[in-house]
Amino acid sequence: MTESVFFWIFAVLTVLLAAQVVLRRNPVHAAVSLVGAFFFLSGIYLLLAAQLIAILQVMVYAGAVMVLFVFVIMLLNLKEEEMGHERLTAWKIIGGASIVVTTGLIAYLALGNAYPTGLLRDMARTQPGFGSVKGVGQALYIASVLPFEVTSLLLTIAVVGAVVVAKGKI
Amino acid sequence: MSFNAADLQGVLPAIILSVGALFLLTSEVFLRNVRPAVLGHAGGIPTSPAERVEAKLPPGAQGASPSAVTPPDRRYQAWVAAAFAALGLWASLAQLGDPAIAIFNGTAASDGFARVVAAVVCGSLLLSCLVAFGYLEALRATRGEFYALALFSASGMCLLGQATDLIVIFIALEVMSLAVYCLSAYLRRGNRPAEAAFKYFVLGSFASAIFLYGAALAYGATASTRLVDIAAALRGGGSGLLWAAAALLVVGFAFKVAAVPFHMWVPDVYDGAPAPVTGFMAAAVKVAAFATLVRILLGGFGDPVAALGAHGWQRLVVWLAGLTMVVGNLLAIPQRSVKRMLAYSSIAHAGYLLVAVAAMAGPLPRQDAIGGLLFYLASYGATVIGAFGVVAIIERKLALSGAGDDLSSWAGLSERHPALAAAMSLFMVSLAGIPPTAGFMAKLTVFRAAVSAELVPLAVLGVLTSVGGLYYYLRVVVYVYMMPTTKPDAVMGERLVAAGLALIGCAVLVVWMGVQPGAFASVAQNAVAVFSR
Repeated sequence: MTESVFFWIFAVLTVLLAAQVVLRRNPVHAAVSLVGAFFFLSGIYLLLAAQLIAILQVMVYAGAVMVLFVFVIMLLNLKEEEMGHERLTAWKIIGGASIVVTTGLIAYLALGNAYPTGLLRDMARTQPGFGSVKGVGQALYIASVLPFEVTSLLLTIAVVGAVVVAKGKI
Repeated sequence: MSFNAADLQGVLPAIILSVGALFLLTSEVFLRNVRPAVLGHAGGIPTSPAERVEAKLPPGAQGASPSAVTPPDRRYQAWVAAAFAALGLWASLAQLGDPAIAIFNGTAASDGFARVVAAVVCGSLLLSCLVAFGYLEALRATRGEFYALALFSASGMCLLGQATDLIVIFIALEVMSLAVYCLSAYLRRGNRPAEAAFKYFVLGSFASAIFLYGAALAYGATASTRLVDIAAALRGGGSGLLWAAAALLVVGFAFKVAAVPFHMWVPDVYDGAPAPVTGFMAAAVKVAAFATLVRILLGGFGDPVAALGAHGWQRLVVWLAGLTMVVGNLLAIPQRSVKRMLAYSSIAHAGYLLVAVAAMAGPLPRQDAIGGLLFYLASYGATVIGAFGVVAIIERKLALSGAGDDLSSWAGLSERHPALAAAMSLFMVSLAGIPPTAGFMAKLTVFRAAVSAELVPLAVLGVLTSVGGLYYYLRVVVYVYMMPTTKPDAVMGERLVAAGLALIGCAVLVVWMGVQPGAFASVAQNAVAVFSR
């Protein structure tokens, strides 16, 4: 019962703040909303018995990554007039409505009974060591060793690609 | 339960390509700028009159001013990249007959399908490197990063072909896409390439996010990201969550393969990116994306109920295929830029390929459809790289003279350069699907598979739209052979060693696959066995 209450608090706040990230004109407001969204998302991870991921979420995303974002926003130093005006066109209304309806439909039909009392949480509870440092490490380095290695390839490409795109015109 | 030599051998093509990329990146460190005062005219300074004309650079190009320091000779890079691509091709073909095994705890597979896909990807990369050589040299834009990114993206494509886990598929997809985004942003002179790259990046990320949502839903429904577990869960009866997951996964890949209505980015991106990159994108990215789509749909959602049932994916793919064929061909007709025309034609060809995917849903003719799809991908790759290779040669002349890409610049090509004209005509004829070229055999196998899968209306629509395609392909041939030259250009006398090799390779493949499809069909048979039940 308490878990359900917490789930709804975290879920509603995560979605509301995530929506603010997209809807806010001011990038600083968006960044602060993103911190909040990351924070409440880590609460949902905790409810799913993934303690390590929850802590990493707060430390890495809400902490380190956000500092980077704020630095970038600060360096860009957008003026008020550069942010543009809010314009509500018919396409935006149609697009927004269809996104809300589609996502809501999927959530209602499919996820309704998976959270907060469904399959995933039960699975997490029945596995000994789930969510611990050891459990995550084994999942990362044994079961998913190939994706882990390919991710390093991805990061190399990201660095090389950033240099190619950012340096003077070729 | 970590990994062993067999696992590493299974991803050998990807490893070879990554090593090649790292080698090229490292070699850049040791390059030195050459000072002519000390070393004389060494290192890529044009000496013959023809090259000197070629070196007349567009405004804003790097190195346009005759400075004291000349950039180092980087001509080795294309050949090194091509050598690594050939090595990857050899590695994937050498393993072709080996038994299929699951590697890395079942997150990937080393089987015939993966090896054929890797072979086609490496072949496309090899030809594209040769096409890029002269193009980048003429524009003074050769850098190690270009070939390194191409090799990296090809290694991601090889991994995509063999991934059997949604996490690996997503990461390999990003490896491929990120490298290709950067390649399309590589030559940023003027606004169009930057716009193209940005559009590609934003819409590509959007597609990746949709795919990721589908993968998350599949995990939510089955508590596993392995395709085999998804298939097992489906046998126990599908849920609404799994149908939504299948639809989102298909939509994610529909973006990547440029199926209508997810095709908006294609013309701008194909037009704005450098022509050798566009050829590579059209050929190799399509191969990898279709291979993964087949893996997901047959490996994960291959159950007859999931494929053919009331909510099955066949209906979705049939609609996508029909729309893509009609809209792609119709939009290609009014194009006057050859590059844009080829972009819309690439959308149309995605439609024909989707016909093959739709034909795979049925249990009976699945073999024909998979073999047909792979044959189509290989033949389209050879043809389109050749076509963009010719476009690259024409385009760099246009870039040097500052003119835009228009059909009129192709007028009278046969008088100025008969070999190029003949090659371009051959590729156009193959794209249009006229015998005795690869394009005809490919269309024939795909439509035959569709008919035996009882998708007769789709096959009829395919034939009708191909007839419509004749108009815009043959218009290029008409311009090349029958229109008088409007503006004679002086720079036609240059040597085209690498590009010539690539074009000859493409032309030989196009004719060979058209005349003797049996040889290639037997290679494809290795791949087909993977999905037989």
